[in-house]
Amino acid sequence: MRARAAVSAALASAGILLAGWQSGVHVADTRSVVAAASTGNAAESSSELGTSGTSGTSGTSGSSGTGASGAAGSAGTGSAGAAAKAGGTYDGDVVQTRFGTVQVQITVKAGAITDVTALKLTDHEGRSVQISNYAAPILRSEVLQAQSADVQTVGGATVTSDAYLTSLQAALDAANL
Amino acid sequence: MNTQLSPRLGTDDPRNPGSGPPAGTAARPRFAVRHRRRLLRADALTVAAWGSLAASVSLWLADGGTAAISTVASGVTALGIVAGLAGMDLVLLMLLLAARIPLIDGAVGHDRALEFHRRLGKPSLYLLLAHGILIAVGYGMAEGLDPVSEAVALWVLVPDMWLAFVSLALFIAVVVTSLVAVRRRFPYEFWYLVHLLTYAAVLTSLPHQFSVGGLFAEGTWQRWYWIAICAATGAALLCYRVIQPLVATFRHQLTVERVTAEAPGVISVEMSGLQLRALEGSGGRFFIWRFLAPGLWWHPHPFSLSAEPMVLGNDGRGLLRITVRNLGRGTAQLAALRPGTKVAVEGPYGLFSSAARSRDRVVLIGAGIGITPLRALLERTPFAPGQATVLLRGHSDQELYLGDEILELCRRRGATLFHLTGPRDPGAPGSWLPAAWHVAGYALTDYVPDIADADVYVCGPTAWAGNVLSAARSAGVREDQLHYERFDW
Repeated sequence: MRARAAVSAALASAGILLAGWQSGVHVADTRSVVAAASTGNAAESSSELGTSGTSGTSGTSGSSGTGASGAAGSAGTGSAGAAAKAGGTYDGDVVQTRFGTVQVQITVKAGAITDVTALKLTDHEGRSVQISNYAAPILRSEVLQAQSADVQTVGGATVTSDAYLTSLQAALDAANL
Repeated sequence: MNTQLSPRLGTDDPRNPGSGPPAGTAARPRFAVRHRRRLLRADALTVAAWGSLAASVSLWLADGGTAAISTVASGVTALGIVAGLAGMDLVLLMLLLAARIPLIDGAVGHDRALEFHRRLGKPSLYLLLAHGILIAVGYGMAEGLDPVSEAVALWVLVPDMWLAFVSLALFIAVVVTSLVAVRRRFPYEFWYLVHLLTYAAVLTSLPHQFSVGGLFAEGTWQRWYWIAICAATGAALLCYRVIQPLVATFRHQLTVERVTAEAPGVISVEMSGLQLRALEGSGGRFFIWRFLAPGLWWHPHPFSLSAEPMVLGNDGRGLLRITVRNLGRGTAQLAALRPGTKVAVEGPYGLFSSAARSRDRVVLIGAGIGITPLRALLERTPFAPGQATVLLRGHSDQELYLGDEILELCRRRGATLFHLTGPRDPGAPGSWLPAAWHVAGYALTDYVPDIADADVYVCGPTAWAGNVLSAARSAGVREDQLHYERFDW
């Protein structure tokens, strides 16, 4: 009887794990398809932008092909080395945190930051989405006021703030500001 | 020393299934079918338990967990998440095993359920510790922090995480105080109070699972599954550990009738109550009693009935009796119980009853205070004359508690009775017999030649009972024929 229990338990557990793994593979597939599609678009648009010479916007990140994975993405560094304080939009680095990735985009006109947009914010679960939604507007207005990444982090949202400002600094570097 | 319950022994009760000859002949198919069903249920529960563990890992797999591993850091974090899921699942299983759910109790028995509960204690703690450490290391690596700074950062910066740290500390306290070596050093009451912290440990662990754990983000089916199993466990605890006891207490309205001394340090407590017909057949099973007297009310006492419930009238009015030996401070106070004291009750629990029978023949082996549940079992468990043997072990005849009643029952029902009295053999710690009989070379099969085809009920001190069980096993008794109840905590 014990043997019967052991065998059935082993079979049932294996079945459950297999089912979980199968649906997990499916989830991962969808993600990478989505990611691949978005990467393609980004590449396209950046090449477009490149030909028109309006800005040095970089491709978001080639590493997103593996879906949600990837450590601190370094692919998004600005490519417009020579482009002096030209106007346009500049993407910051993709910064990995334990609650998700953060990436900001700045709009520059005549050497001044006119807007900061968060392309990605920490979103791993409900609570950090709340934190992000609370912190992002504060950071944006502080950055616009200071015109640099040298601003205070938002209390209670330190992880998000740090990542936000790191990404911002990369964007500022790309824009040669 | 006749008790008030004794007169019943002489009368033939038509409702008593064990009193007529048909019981023996009709018994086999009934026992066999019931026994098979019980084993099937036990196996199904085993499968469900393992399945739930697999399911907890599957939650993560189904979220594309494996695909998200690309670096060492994410691999370590993933391991930490899986450890946390499996650890929490084990904690829920432990709570269910301790929830006294009739389905589990009826399939494997209360003591076996608690044995599994105890066995899961260390693995679940190790998994939870691994969860904390691996997550701190994994997150730390992803951010270039050492695990300690990462843990501090998690505590300070992430909402609900400080609760999770508190929870882990509580879990450590609960498991450590439950280790046999530690537990022996403290009174039962201390262990009991610390064990109540389990509830605090589980409750403080819940917020971070749902708020920080990305797997259980709002809108995922995983969140619903996790909420469902947590809520079901909570509901089972509430139902069987709070509501059922209250219902039983109000239903039976037990009141201490009298307290009698059976032997030095051994007393019987008789309680009168209502609707006791519902408890018939629970002789030998145990209840958890709380005597509602000052200084006693908060202390739960697990004691077996030492006689079948005696129903005196058609309205179910009747008497219950327990017989206890002075084992600790709490038990000593029972001798001073006043008649009229109200009694809160939970139960009956355990499989030390006819529900565990699988054969026609039955052997009851008891020592010391462990004799008293056998006395209750002997009263009603079905057997034909000549098919039951009772072995009683004690230092002296005086220590064969309720021996007179057992003799009377054996005489009336046709059971063979042996009194095995005398000191144990200090040179043979593995022997269950008195020294004289052991030296003379007697064994279990000398008393019960056909023991291999019998249900064997054993009740007594743990070490002694262990010796009896090994003797029975070597006499060819299979594991599912052995029925024993640990009556130490």
